[in-house]
Formats: sequence, structure tokens, C-alpha cells
Amino acid sequence: MSRLEALTEKLRAARLVAADAPPLEVDDSGRPWFVSLLLGAAGWLAGLMLIFFIGITFRMTDGLGLAILGLFLMGAAYGLYRVDVGGAFLGQLALAFSIAGQIAFAFGLLQDANSALVVSGTLLLLQIGVFVLMPNRTARAIAMLFAGIVWCYFVRFAVYPDSDWEGWFMPDQKNAQFGAASAVVTWAITWVPLVAAALWLLKRETWWMSRPLRAWFRPALTGLLVVLALGGQLTEPFATLMFGPDRWGMQFGWWSLFPLLSIGIALFAAWCAFRLRNLGLMGVGLFGALLHVSRFYYIYGTTLLEKSLIMLVLGVLLLVTAWWLRERGSQS
Amino acid sequence: MTDRLTRAELDRFAEHYRLDPAGVETMLEAAEAHPSKAETRRFFVQVLGIGGLLSLAASLVFFVAANWSRLEIFGRFLIVEAVLVAAGIVALVRPPPALAGRAALFMAYVATGALLALFGQTYQTGADVYELFLTWSLLGLPFVVLGNWSVLSAAWLVTLNVALLLFCGYQPAGGLFWDAIGRRPMDQAILLCVAFAVNLVLCGLAEIFRFQAVPVWVKRIGMSWAFLFGSWSAVVGIVDDAASGLAVVYVSILLALEARYALNRREDIYPLAVVMGTCIVIGTALIIETFEFADEGMLLIIAIWLIGTSTFAARFLVARARAWRNAGVSS
Repeated sequence: MSRLEALTEKLRAARLVAADAPPLEVDDSGRPWFVSLLLGAAGWLAGLMLIFFIGITFRMTDGLGLAILGLFLMGAAYGLYRVDVGGAFLGQLALAFSIAGQIAFAFGLLQDANSALVVSGTLLLLQIGVFVLMPNRTARAIAMLFAGIVWCYFVRFAVYPDSDWEGWFMPDQKNAQFGAASAVVTWAITWVPLVAAALWLLKRETWWMSRPLRAWFRPALTGLLVVLALGGQLTEPFATLMFGPDRWGMQFGWWSLFPLLSIGIALFAAWCAFRLRNLGLMGVGLFGALLHVSRFYYIYGTTLLEKSLIMLVLGVLLLVTAWWLRERGSQS
Repeated sequence: MTDRLTRAELDRFAEHYRLDPAGVETMLEAAEAHPSKAETRRFFVQVLGIGGLLSLAASLVFFVAANWSRLEIFGRFLIVEAVLVAAGIVALVRPPPALAGRAALFMAYVATGALLALFGQTYQTGADVYELFLTWSLLGLPFVVLGNWSVLSAAWLVTLNVALLLFCGYQPAGGLFWDAIGRRPMDQAILLCVAFAVNLVLCGLAEIFRFQAVPVWVKRIGMSWAFLFGSWSAVVGIVDDAASGLAVVYVSILLALEARYALNRREDIYPLAVVMGTCIVIGTALIIETFEFADEGMLLIIAIWLIGTSTFAARFLVARARAWRNAGVSS
């Protein structure tokens, strides 16, 4: 007896499943995380190849033409998802069409845009549109992931307006709206709503699992947790690589502790994944926390010596808390 | 945790049988989908404990990297060596499998690397960075064996692979690996293939001897490194005219052996996913090499190749996973 059949029997005994109810047919929904990753990465790359092929073959440079092509491709992806029932070839083709369509549509629409805020805002709306409309969980999870990443940029460009291209790789300190507090304000506006959304989805899981909303909320939760774990690194890819003298040597202060919050967010994502019993996402959360530690080494705040002291104190605090929790557990 | 129904499966279950919130709650309980209080506490104890240990390790590494000028060389060595000795004493007093002993051996392992880095930093030995990681993995191996702990095994595997990556990627002239290849530059594709084989052999040994310290997640780290080196080797062998095409043959043979072993073992589909992922990368490189960007049609062929092969791979892997899981339930 499979686990699915065993569960059906249990619920039948509890009279939650009718005795004559047809059995649930097995499909690909229980696929492991790395298979989803393989499919997502291949579909994304195929979409990129597809749009390059169309762009070069038909020499498409006109903004309106690209936008219409993008809409057509996304429409085709929608149709393919609708007719795809077994998660087979058509679903993967649809993903490639959807990605190609999004790229074409975004290029067509934003060809002449000069404002990074407008670009990130439009991309955010596009991803939200894809998330709402595409009838496929993988497509929705990827859209939520991209939406989360673009959200990070959107907030950054709102708090640091008039940033040049460097703003796409790390916050540009020019014209910061809130002075020295800009970093914290950006952090709070970016992450607090995402953390709150993840918490809400986790708390109300039973409610939305019993409704059609599950088709949106499940991929939303998956995408959110990946963003919480890796969003910082994905939106500041060079912050860990650039370690010139201008990036260190500041005086110690409370600001030096600020980057530890990112480690906390990644660990929060790992905890959420643990609650969902999702080992893959838990790994992503823990990996994200480790990446944040390496980022702490290279950027932000203070001298390496003081960072060493911070990590020493943090390590002792964590170990003492772990010991206390363990003792408390053994007493109860 | 791995053997339970996934949330996606439970979503389908709730949808199919039209369960209301109370029904969903019962279903989640029956499927043990929510961790118990004891499990949650254990999770926090583990995460906080390992997090604390890693923070202490990071503190030591940051300290060495800081190169504090107000502390004499002797003092710097004294601090790192004191950590090493203290860790050794703790491990002797509370030997593994006690958690304190394992944590102490982990700190000893990190302190070994920190000491080597400090030595190189202080005396400017001129050694390449790969030598640091290689020496670290060799000298730290006794701690890994004594610790018999998955976290230590994972750390060791990463250290060794960073050494392999740095050597195979850049081929610096010096160190143990340089001596091993006869002090002459070697074909990069073949070198990467060796790194691929090393990871497969390590994973194979862990499979055969069923090391307690090498659970599935650590083996998967090894397989992921294998995927990186195998794909890289084959791509270099195919695309780079100066490279030996033999590497592609070797990688293909190793992939076939790995696939056969995984199919016979019927335990984890991750190795099969690695084999298929590598095959997809090799196929993509072959398409690029065949068409040499002479025609934009190549882009379309790559797109179709990626869609077709990834779909096939996913369906094959999911079918195997389901069959093996159900076989596990029956037995």
C-alpha cells in the first residue's frame, strides 16, 4: 500500500472520505525539489534561447512588436498549460514560452524607459500578472521568486532615487531618502512585508488548503521562502565580491550588527520550510544563512577584528540558548 | 522527513476529496505533516547549536584574516593553537558521539585551517591557495574520522573540493597535485574528469561502507560537486579544440557506471538526476560545437533539446522515485 493509499484509508475510517469516493490518481505533484529545479532551470534557459532565436531570425527591435510578441507567447504558454494535464512535455514547452514572452514583453515595454524605479515597478507588475494568470504551480512559484527579487529592487530605487546602473548590483548611497537610516528603512520595507506574508500563509495553511486558493498560495509560499533565503545575495550579487578598502574599516557601532538580521531572515525561511517538512527549502534557507555570514565578512560595518568579536559573542549566545532549550526539553 | 507525503501531494488530496478546514487539519495530522513540539524543539536546538558553532568558527577565521598588528606574531599563533589544544582536550574529556566532543573536533578542524592560513600569512610561504585547502583537508582528516559527524564530513568534502576546483581550474605550478601530475601542465578536461571521478569514488565508498557520518544530504553534496566537475570536463573536452576529447569518453563511462549503480541500488534518485543533468549539459555543448553559432537555428535546437530532455528526465526520475518509495512502504 502506498502512502497516499494509507492516508486515504485513515481518512475513510474517520469518515472524511466517502467509502465510494474514486481514488486519487498519482501524478508528478510529489516530485523532489531537485527535479523541480532541473525543470525550472532548463525551462528558463530554453525560454532565453527561444527569445534570442525569434529576436535574431525576425530582427525584432520595434518596442510595440516585441510587446505584442511577448503577449502572444505568454498567451500560447497559458493555452499549453491549460491543455497539459500530466505535467508532461507541453508543460515544459509552456514554461519556455512564458519566459520568452515575459522577456519580449518587458523589452518591448521598457525599451525607452530611463528610470530604474519605473523598470522595476513594471517588472513587478508583470510578475504579479504572471503569478495570478498562469495556471501552473511551477510558473507561479518562479513568478513569485522573480516578483520578490524585483520587489527588493523597487524598494531600493524608491529609497535611493536617481541611482545609476550600479544600483542594480548594490544600493547607491547617492540621494538616500532617509539619510543614515536609509539602509534600515530599505531593509524594513523590503523584508517585513515578506516575512509577514510568509508567516500568514503558514498560520492559515489549513484554511487555504481547503479552498482553490491553494493553487496560488502554495507556490507563493515556495517563492517567498526562496526570496527570504537568497534575495539579499541575488539582488546584491557583487556586494560579496567587491572587497576593496572602501568597504571596510568603519568604526564599530550598532550598525555593525545590522547585517546579522539577514542571517536571521534566512534562518526564518529555514524554520518555515521545517514547518512544511520541506527539506529542499530548508537546505536553501540554511545555505542562505551561510552565504550571509560570508557577506558579513566582506562588506558592511566594521573591522574584521570587531566582526570576529561579534561572531564570538553571537556564537556563545546561540550555544547557551541551544543548551538552555535542550535542558528545558529534557526536564519536561 | 523525506518519506512523508509532500505538501503538493496533500494539496491534491485535499482538492480531490474536497476536504473542509477541519478535514484538512485531520489529514495533516494523519500524514504527520506538522512537526510535533519535541521535533520543533530539536530543530531549534540543532540549528542554534550548529549556528553557534559556525559563528565561533567564523570568529576564529575573521580573527586570523584581521591580521591584528597590535598583537605579536607569537600571540596570534598562541590564540589559534590554544583553540586547537582546548578543542582537543574537550574532545578527549567528552569523546564523540557526545555532542560536545563532535563540536570540539569541528572547532579543531576549523582551527587547523586557520593555523595554516596564519602560517602562510605570517611567513609568506608563497603557497597557492589550493595548497592551503588541500593541506587543510589532509591534516584535518583525523578530526573528521574521529568526529564521525555529518557536519564535519560535509565541511571536509567542501574543503577538498575547493582545493580540486582551484587546482583543476587554474593549474598553479606547485604543491602536491602539481607533483602528482609530473610537474607538467595537464589537459584541463582530463584533470576535471579526475576531480569528477574522485567525488564519485568518495560517494561510492560512503555507499558501500554505509558511514554513519555520511548521510544522504552529505552524499548529495558530493554528487553536486561531481555534477559540476563532470559537466565542466565534458564541456571543455567538446568545445575547446586544444582539449582532449577523451575526457568526454571517460565522463560518459563514469556516468553510465553511476547510473547503473543507482538503478540497482534503488534508494536515492539524486545520483540519477546528476547523471541526467550532466547528459543535458553535454548534449547542449555538442549542439553548440556542431553548429558553431553559424546559424540562429542552433538556438531553437538548444531550446527544443532542453525542453525535451528535461521533460524526459523529470518523468523518468519521478516514476523511479515513486516506484522505489512504494516498494519501501510495502517492504
